[in-house]
Amino acid sequence: MSKKHGLNLSKAEIMEHRLEILYRILPLISVLLLVGLWMIASRDFNADVGSGFPTPAAVWDRTVRLFTRPVKKMNLIMHALVSLRRIGLALAFDWTFGIIFGIIIGWFPKPRAFFTPMFDAFRAVPPLAWIPLITLWFGIGEFPKILIVIFGSLASIVVNVKAGLSAVDKMYLNVGTVFNATPMQTLIKIAIPSSLDAIFAGVRTSTSAAWMVVLAAEMLGADSGVGFLISRGMDSIDMPLVLTGMIAIGIVGAILAILTQFVERLICPWTRKSK
Amino acid sequence: MPMDKKKQVILSLRNISQSFVVKNEVKPAVEDVSLDVYDNEFLVVLGPGHCGKTVLMNVIAGIETPVEGKKYLKGEEIQGNDRRIGMVFQSLNLMPWRTVLGNVEFGLELAGVGKKERRAISQKYIDLVRLTGFEHAYPHELSGGMKQRVGIARAYTNNPEILIMDEPFGALDAQTRYAMEEEVLRIWKEEKRTVVFVTNNIEEAVFLADRIILLSNCPAKVKQVYDLSPLGRPRNLMDSDFLRLRTEISDNTDLAL
Amino acid sequence: MSESPNVMTNEERVAYVQSKRKQTQLRDTMLALIGVMFFFLVWEAVVLTGLVDSKKLCSVLEVFKLFIVKFSDPNPDGALLLVNVWSSLLIALSGFGLAIVIGVPLGWLMGWYKGFDAFMRPIFEIIRPIPPVSWIPLSIVWMGIGLKAKSFIVFFAAFVPCLINSYTGIRQTKEVLKNVGITFGASNFTVFWKVGIPSSLTMAFAGIKVAIGNAWATLVAAEMLAASSGLGYMILMGRSYGRVDLVILGIVVIGLLGVVISALISKCEDFFMGWKRL
Repeated sequence: MSKKHGLNLSKAEIMEHRLEILYRILPLISVLLLVGLWMIASRDFNADVGSGFPTPAAVWDRTVRLFTRPVKKMNLIMHALVSLRRIGLALAFDWTFGIIFGIIIGWFPKPRAFFTPMFDAFRAVPPLAWIPLITLWFGIGEFPKILIVIFGSLASIVVNVKAGLSAVDKMYLNVGTVFNATPMQTLIKIAIPSSLDAIFAGVRTSTSAAWMVVLAAEMLGADSGVGFLISRGMDSIDMPLVLTGMIAIGIVGAILAILTQFVERLICPWTRKSK
Repeated sequence: MPMDKKKQVILSLRNISQSFVVKNEVKPAVEDVSLDVYDNEFLVVLGPGHCGKTVLMNVIAGIETPVEGKKYLKGEEIQGNDRRIGMVFQSLNLMPWRTVLGNVEFGLELAGVGKKERRAISQKYIDLVRLTGFEHAYPHELSGGMKQRVGIARAYTNNPEILIMDEPFGALDAQTRYAMEEEVLRIWKEEKRTVVFVTNNIEEAVFLADRIILLSNCPAKVKQVYDLSPLGRPRNLMDSDFLRLRTEISDNTDLAL
Repeated sequence: MSESPNVMTNEERVAYVQSKRKQTQLRDTMLALIGVMFFFLVWEAVVLTGLVDSKKLCSVLEVFKLFIVKFSDPNPDGALLLVNVWSSLLIALSGFGLAIVIGVPLGWLMGWYKGFDAFMRPIFEIIRPIPPVSWIPLSIVWMGIGLKAKSFIVFFAAFVPCLINSYTGIRQTKEVLKNVGITFGASNFTVFWKVGIPSSLTMAFAGIKVAIGNAWATLVAAEMLAASSGLGYMILMGRSYGRVDLVILGIVVIGLLGVVISALISKCEDFFMGWKRL
């Protein structure tokens, strides 16, 4: 019976098998189509004048040239590292201060009532709107850039931590009551672990927010970083450089997303739902 | 009020009433419940539907403070929660971020017991509920019956004198439920404690209980107390006495909507 | 139920519980008010004592004064406040509207039809990690610095959450609900239309709410990098003229408008999702 299985497929099974193959090919087709579209769009690209949409080959050449003839003495990787260092420092602050502050206003009713209006007002301002104010205060050095990133990504972690801590499931708290937990134990052993997934959601969103803000900050005034590469490309009508920058940004952003997800799985193995 | 003086009363409730203010109304949940629990007995609190049983257990465990009434443990009045009362919860209140071992030793950890000692105690009860080998599994990797075993082991670790089990098997399928009922009796025989077991299943009640306290529908009041000691153990589900008692209780139970 | 023997005590209890609740509410409002006052007091104190350079921070009153003046005086950025607001709103709403009209149905189709999903997903996954802000130079090259370029960028920012949420929403359609449709002999498309889409609406609305936040945030960047009017441009001009009051006014107006728009969207959701409360 089982030996003949391959031959005795019903019509529906054959149909399904064909669809299965189609579903596997379709992604390939779509990627090829995207590349094809790019080729067509860049038909009348002129590298000398810089007019038109750059060809894939031109972008590749520009990327290579970025290593042989660095911009501001830094190649692509170094520019990316500069941007990463900025968000790294900002996130280190976000994750310590933001998580502590989120826990305080999520768990204790009085601080929550006191800080909520102020925090909501702060949160309502789009991250990038802080840039002019901060540059007005601190100029355009390295510190104000990090501060801009902090201002832009702090709200997303605080909001998540606060939401997690203010919605701890009653049933976990009941276990604590039955075992005579002290208020401190209830917070540390029950409330905080039970909102770890909310905290991690905050870590994830703050990372991607920070990445977006650092780009904008670098585009508005910097002499290093991937955002700078893009604005430099725009200023000198060097479209291949713009695209190189965009692709680098996309890749780094994707790596950051994967990395935070990986760390979450490492630290919270129970969220890995068994199928 | 049962006047059985052969056994020692360990816990007694006197005129317990509990109600909640919902919008502009007072919704009574438990009304004037007085009952005695004897040392080392298996007491089943049987009641229809979803009315008052869990509230009554929460009052005993000290999760809720009753509006009226008093509770006495070994003759002295207690308020709030007491270390001598343990609880197995209706919803599987296992903490998903802790392993089986972590969940079982939770109470000991809060009580500040040293690591070595609490490992040893937890292991003993994990073995007792037959979960040996699953110490490092997370709750989501366990079946429903296994989760309740963890809940039972967790309640045992703090060495309570009274163990409340609030509809522990409500969410299990019939097969697992029968198996777990026998398991509870086995564990109870090996580690004798006073058990207060809540259920809405008459057969389960008659199978497990030394005594049954039948509650009325909302608000919960004590309707009748049945002494099942004449039935003896182990019980046979097809025994004529068993069936007669089951029918009797069934006829006496309020219909829950 | 109110016929229980101890009626008096019941009424007293209700009154007691309600007064307790009111007390907590009162306490919270007081704390909130104190918090806000504290914030403004510190602000004013810092300005009045000259702790901070007056070029870097101005008094609250000055911001308010400028707010009034900006209704009739186009200086220093060249446009009245309302003109700036209108120009920003136009861009944000056009890009956002386009994102809903394209993103939500696309998410539905991708979530429902496997073949379409297999085809579209790679393209989407390639484009998704590139932040909308970095599309600004390209869109300027393509479309100049007018309305079109900016609403394209805003569209981009709002498009992703719209698509993702309606996609996951329709994917979470309960098998049982689908089977009800199938046993009644409905075609795949009918089930998609009558079961899949309605059951995904909650998620889709959550996506739209995220999208409006993204759109509003990206708008500021677009206006700072490529514009000659709008609130983002106004802030940037305030910065280059060293007018801190203008910068703060711009931030406050942007924040307030963002809050108002989100509130309006929640109202819309209540309107469309009325059946949820049945």
